[in-house]
Amino acid sequence: MQSKSLALICVCASLGFLTPAIAVTTNPATEKVAVDDAEPFCNSGVPPEWRDAQVVEDVKIDESRVCNPDNPADIAAFVRGTNNISMQTLMDTNLAADALTLSNDMDGDGDPDHVIIKLEIMELNGHSPDFPGVVPTFDIAPGIQPSFWVYTPKTRDMSTKSFASAEANPMLRLPAPVIRVEQGDVVWIVLENTHYFPHSIHLHGVDHPYMDHSGEGNDGVGQTSQMDVMPGQSKTYVIKPRQAGTMYYHCHVQPHTHIPMGLAGIFIVEENRPNNWVQTFNVGAGQVRHPSAAVKERYVGEYDLHFQSIDKELHRMPQAANDPRLIARAMNQEYDITDATDDYFVLNGRAFPYTLRESLVVVQPNEKVKLRVLNGHTDPMALHIHGHKATETHYDGVDVAPAARITRDVYSLAPAQRIDLELNTTDDGLHSFGSGLWMYHDHTERAFTTDGMGEGGSISLVAYRDYLDDKGTPKTHGMDLSPYFSKKFWQRKIPVWQNLADEWGSLGVPAGSGYAAASRAAAGAGSAAPVKAGDGGTGGTLEGLLAGVLLGILAYVGFLNRAFLQAQLGRLINRQHGN
Amino acid sequence: MKILTVFLFSLGLGSAVSAAEQPVIVDHNRMMDHGDGHLMDMDGGMVMGQNKDKLPAGCDRVSEDVQVTVHAGRKFSKDFPGTMFGFDKHEWRVKPCTRLTVNFINEDPIRHQWMMHGLPKFMYDKGMFHLEVTGPAKVSGTLILPSEDRTYLVHCDIAQHMEKGMKGQLIVGKGSGTFPSIPGITDPAIFDNYAPSATVQPEKPNAAVPAPQAASSATGAGTAAAPPAAGGTVLSGSLVLGFVAGVFGAPAAVAYYNRRLKGRSFPEVLANLTSLIKAAACRLADWLSRLYQRIRSGKRYLPKGDE
Repeated sequence: MQSKSLALICVCASLGFLTPAIAVTTNPATEKVAVDDAEPFCNSGVPPEWRDAQVVEDVKIDESRVCNPDNPADIAAFVRGTNNISMQTLMDTNLAADALTLSNDMDGDGDPDHVIIKLEIMELNGHSPDFPGVVPTFDIAPGIQPSFWVYTPKTRDMSTKSFASAEANPMLRLPAPVIRVEQGDVVWIVLENTHYFPHSIHLHGVDHPYMDHSGEGNDGVGQTSQMDVMPGQSKTYVIKPRQAGTMYYHCHVQPHTHIPMGLAGIFIVEENRPNNWVQTFNVGAGQVRHPSAAVKERYVGEYDLHFQSIDKELHRMPQAANDPRLIARAMNQEYDITDATDDYFVLNGRAFPYTLRESLVVVQPNEKVKLRVLNGHTDPMALHIHGHKATETHYDGVDVAPAARITRDVYSLAPAQRIDLELNTTDDGLHSFGSGLWMYHDHTERAFTTDGMGEGGSISLVAYRDYLDDKGTPKTHGMDLSPYFSKKFWQRKIPVWQNLADEWGSLGVPAGSGYAAASRAAAGAGSAAPVKAGDGGTGGTLEGLLAGVLLGILAYVGFLNRAFLQAQLGRLINRQHGN
Repeated sequence: MKILTVFLFSLGLGSAVSAAEQPVIVDHNRMMDHGDGHLMDMDGGMVMGQNKDKLPAGCDRVSEDVQVTVHAGRKFSKDFPGTMFGFDKHEWRVKPCTRLTVNFINEDPIRHQWMMHGLPKFMYDKGMFHLEVTGPAKVSGTLILPSEDRTYLVHCDIAQHMEKGMKGQLIVGKGSGTFPSIPGITDPAIFDNYAPSATVQPEKPNAAVPAPQAASSATGAGTAAAPPAAGGTVLSGSLVLGFVAGVFGAPAAVAYYNRRLKGRSFPEVLANLTSLIKAAACRLADWLSRLYQRIRSGKRYLPKGDE
């Protein structure tokens, strides 16, 4: 009996076939991964009236139809100065009483000409020796908390929203605030270094004397101008900018790490006009709710767009130790930016979908809006606005003669470059293709991902007013956005297309395929480490085996012909030397 | 006038800083009272939760009046390696129902705070007593402590100031335990790793230092992440096995070729190879049939899929 069946199978085998098993193999069913931790689109909890156009402390404040608008009391303080507002308004802000002092109308044109700006330096998502989390928290996307260092207007009281919350108060955020002054103002920028490392301010592109009147260096460069500002010390930079334009300010201490860490912001010198009270700070950038007189002459609205990129390895270093010496060693001696790649891309401090809560450019048909764009990436960027061709009016703060201005739909910016764009919403098929929710983003592909997960990165929208509800929620016509508001999505646990193709999940995840195990570890906070696939797919093993055999044979052949190979190598080297 | 005073003030401040010998301490003693124990001036001095006369529940009277002077600044980090800011003292002990006046002297030209948490909220807004000033300056405030034995957290809440040394505790009566990571008093809850990190590892720069756990509680903070498997995907075990098989198999195959096939005609070679394959196939079939019979015999050798 046994020999019979053996013979039968042997015949089959010699023919090259083995009869297949009787049962048909079924592929695994689709497993549905629940999206059970999605935040609502808007959870800012701000009073709805904050979004309305209003007047506070005689300051006219534009409407801001977004989920997370600026506090009108902050705007009033930024326009009038903390010294010229009521105690009640000051109490409605987180600002220190001496954060912004505006005084002395030297030319008698109705606006203050002496500006004292006090800046502190805050660490966001920093280490704590007391518990495993970070503090104060600032999420760039759901659950993603890289550490940052930012300049902030001088604040008072707690760093967090309350004692019970670890969330940073609204003044402490990425990016460093946009600073606006008027052409010809005498500006003192007082840097109070509240951080545990040395820092400085370099006024990139802003007209400033190399030395100030008291003989102190004013350029913010430790090697050539002035000693860095040490922890616990203070330094005043004095300027009287003669030229208007969109400029830049950043730390010049170990700038290859300090700029990416967040110590960089837009600095704007507004053209001089009578009675021109400019909004000195634009915290979190985005819409300027009180544009300057010169901007109002030509535009109905103004937006500051600060793009930044983040290498998660660098931004994990201040979280990995408490001792400043260990952090300094890691960042100054161990981190090698020439081996680094950026993982997160943010616009005004947030990645998609959080950008939709704050960085919408809200327009109506037939108007002109001014966009001031800074490339704070470590690489060039290529900004693209869907459905529009905007006109480049200024490069690095210098205006372009009208005849030479270029209208296009991709705007190249080298690192640190600024361009001013005129966005014209006239529906003529050139400047605008009409109303809608039009995306704008850096068209460098990785920049619309968050650590390689799409769609993330610095995507936001040019939103026509008709397409927004009262709370600033875009009335989108595409897919359900809620997975993007889930931490699990960014931890690579939710199959991107699982709900899209059909109700039985043709593009979902096969059950038991170890999808979750193969995805990034559920560590959150940007500390996700790749975990090796647990299923150990036999395909991979076989591939490895075959590749190994091939490599082995190759090595053997190489060994046999080693004399020939050596001769060839020698010739190559000689040729190189010859050249 | 305003600008002149501001100018003079900063001039004085600047020279004081550059001299760095004896900073002139500005006493912020003319603050506006905004009610509810909140006092403030326009140079950034403030007191919150001041209470000179309201007795907390359980206190019949003020047990005693105590004055403490607290210095704050960079220089107090000197005795505690690994810190950057500090107070001159990090622990204070008082009796229950004490009326405590804190004279807070900040010696740095930046903000510092002496902030206390955990007081009864119905008496102290947000349960806080708080002194804050930009130095070099002094600000004073008074509060009456409750009757319970309790330990209160005292710190500077400016980002990273507590973590980098500005942390202390106020113990009322016998207290209620201690807080971690107070310089010179308690150990941190999470220790730093001082092991030398000899090699530069750009792709895993924190290998020598334990990475912080997940920040958000929602993702299960404290659960250790699975360690990355040793070796990357490029150098898998099967690849190495294959390589070994290739290196040693190739000469064996060549030797076999030389011995059995070299110099023979094509049909002979074909016949030889066929017999070789046939032998291998039969051996495989033999093994398969034995396997089949074992399964049929009812003994379980293979796990079932659903288990």
